[in-house]
Amino acid sequence: MRKLFTVIILIVAISTPFFAFDVLPVIGDPDSAPNSHVSDHYIEHAVEECNSPNMVTAVIVDYRAFDTMFETTVMFLAGVSVVLLLAGRPKRRLISPSAVKKRGRTVRGKAVYETVNKDVMISLIEPLILIYAVYVLFHGEVSLGGGFQAGALIGMTYLLDVMVGKRQRPIFNLSKFRSAALAGVGPFIYALTGLISVFAGGMYLEYNRLPLPVHQAELHSIGITAVEIGVTIGVAGTIITIINALMERISFDDDND
Amino acid sequence: MIENNLPVLIIIVPLCAALLCLLLTGINRHLGRAVVVLAVLASLVMSVMQLGLVIKNGPIHYAIGNYKVPFGIEFVIDSLNAVIIVMISTIGFISAVYADHFVTDRRPLLHGAYNTIIALLITGLLGMASTGDVFNLYVFLEITSLSAYCLIALGGSRGIVSAYRYMLVGTIAATFYLVAAALLYGATGTLNMDDMAKILSSGDYDTVMLLSMCFLIPAFGIKMALFPFHGWQPSAYTHAEAGTRPLITGVMGKLPAYAMFRFFYCIFGTDFRYVRYLMLALGVFSVCSMLYGSLMAMWQNDIRKMLAYSSVAQIGYISLGFAIGTPIALAGSFLHMIGHAFMKGGLFFCTGAIRYKFGTTDLNDFGRIYKKMPLTCGLLTVAALSMIGIPPTAGFFSKWYLASGAADQHYWIYIAVLVISSLLNAVYFFKLIEKVFINEDAGLKDKWSRGPELPLTMLIPIVVCFVAILGIGLFNAKIVDVLLLTLGEVGL
Repeated sequence: MRKLFTVIILIVAISTPFFAFDVLPVIGDPDSAPNSHVSDHYIEHAVEECNSPNMVTAVIVDYRAFDTMFETTVMFLAGVSVVLLLAGRPKRRLISPSAVKKRGRTVRGKAVYETVNKDVMISLIEPLILIYAVYVLFHGEVSLGGGFQAGALIGMTYLLDVMVGKRQRPIFNLSKFRSAALAGVGPFIYALTGLISVFAGGMYLEYNRLPLPVHQAELHSIGITAVEIGVTIGVAGTIITIINALMERISFDDDND
Repeated sequence: MIENNLPVLIIIVPLCAALLCLLLTGINRHLGRAVVVLAVLASLVMSVMQLGLVIKNGPIHYAIGNYKVPFGIEFVIDSLNAVIIVMISTIGFISAVYADHFVTDRRPLLHGAYNTIIALLITGLLGMASTGDVFNLYVFLEITSLSAYCLIALGGSRGIVSAYRYMLVGTIAATFYLVAAALLYGATGTLNMDDMAKILSSGDYDTVMLLSMCFLIPAFGIKMALFPFHGWQPSAYTHAEAGTRPLITGVMGKLPAYAMFRFFYCIFGTDFRYVRYLMLALGVFSVCSMLYGSLMAMWQNDIRKMLAYSSVAQIGYISLGFAIGTPIALAGSFLHMIGHAFMKGGLFFCTGAIRYKFGTTDLNDFGRIYKKMPLTCGLLTVAALSMIGIPPTAGFFSKWYLASGAADQHYWIYIAVLVISSLLNAVYFFKLIEKVFINEDAGLKDKWSRGPELPLTMLIPIVVCFVAILGIGLFNAKIVDVLLLTLGEVGL
């Protein structure tokens, strides 16, 4: 009975939109409301108001910078929650290393990623990824890219470093606590950029009130860059935190052959 | 400088404390928590200043980044959300003070992270109340929900299961909200609430509004735990982490209700063609909620579960005011929102304190507990009387305003349900009072025996709630006058 009721509700709920969803505008219609009300202003004024040739960046970190600040905070919150929830539980290995029998003796299998020598390759690739991350970060204002992508790249470098493991000196080594604190500092730089403009007598996140001796338009670029650096640190810190929290509990063993 | 930027500083100060809390905890064990508590206190002070300014000068419009509306994000503070912001920061502050006694694991990482999440929950709630932008509201809703998932999951292994269930249901609610916002954006091309209201009032968009209404009712219904959508709520409230439970149960359910009011009364407006269906739907849900919640609460033995089900009923009162729609009824529901935050928060402060002292939450163990914990039992009694609706407590006046609003519109059935639900409340709250004052002493052993009753930082929240419940009741006319500054324009 209960299932039947659920099915009826589902059918009604799914079929209604088919009749009613013709209210949405046609894709690409230049006269539709989303393409004509606010968007026009962004397209016409983004370059002069924000001094950013990339309109998407202008909308994300200038017109709607406040949303982005809290989106970064959401990342940080997710990282902290993962640490908090995983660390509070009793420590138990989730994936226990299975034993492999070889010639009558029990030999613990070596993980696949350890059997291939990637050391040489990785130490070449990692610096290159980091350079690329910096490029993506500072070029985000002009073309594609930005803080989130740069942070993801840095996080990926750390992931590679951890996965290859067992090397003498990793490029950088962060404990769980330090990475979580770092993830908080990122969004704080973002919030601080806004606060500085408040202290200089402007509104929150009003970049052209930043107290720096440069041209008005240039201030927007500086503000956007500062904010993007904050996002990068936040995202990278969060990814590293989550990797650290997981790595503590898992022992890989995918070598069963 | 501070005066001009009050709306945003109220949110940014706790946010900065949250972001730096882990770093500071690394420097000194107590520094992180101290900064969080001070930041929430600062935003409490600023919110009181803001309320004064709003009453004196009218609504504040704050454009972030100084971009013209609707191109940037705007905060709109009128007398309604100014009052609600004061309520959130008060309860946030007393919970931040109270919560520290329930931390079992004091490693710097975990202790710092715990305080971080409390501060972020308060930030999210304050943001939801302040914002005047549809998408910004969604972002704050996410922050609130994520930190609530985490705090509920901290409450032991049952907490994890209920948090997981809440997360699944809550994600669906967030998606529904996003679909509704997308539909409205598709029709109007703007995300600013005032601008959207202006465009929608032309009357050409009734179909879109009806459709997005169908998404918004379940979306906010799930988040505020209205009757058919309440499935996640009793277990989540029961097993949430004990220190922050007052904040989660007292405030978290109110903000979606407030957002619902913003959408239906401020954006859609009362001239909306299908407003009668909207009110009917809300009315049916609230009536079911009030009856179901009270009935279920009657046969619970665990006090936490009893209070959780009673929350389902109390949320019903709030949405009942929205279903009636006159300014007086709306004022009743907002008064109930504020009063109930202190009542339910206070009751959970008491259960937390009793658990802290005696380690039990079973109603049958509460015999003659008043001899050992006079202040706690005083709050327990006042909050229970207020829940039933006995003058001069806050609960009586909010129900009175609701009933007189219903009488104006001749909704006699609502008044009947209001009375029945209050009588059912009386049954289980008098049961609680009976257990506390009359039953045999169960001979519980103290876990905390230093000093008089409880540690000072646990007594502060209890006293604040006690004063607030009586204060809201005695000064209800003043509060309603402030609320009516805004409600007078938007009601029926």
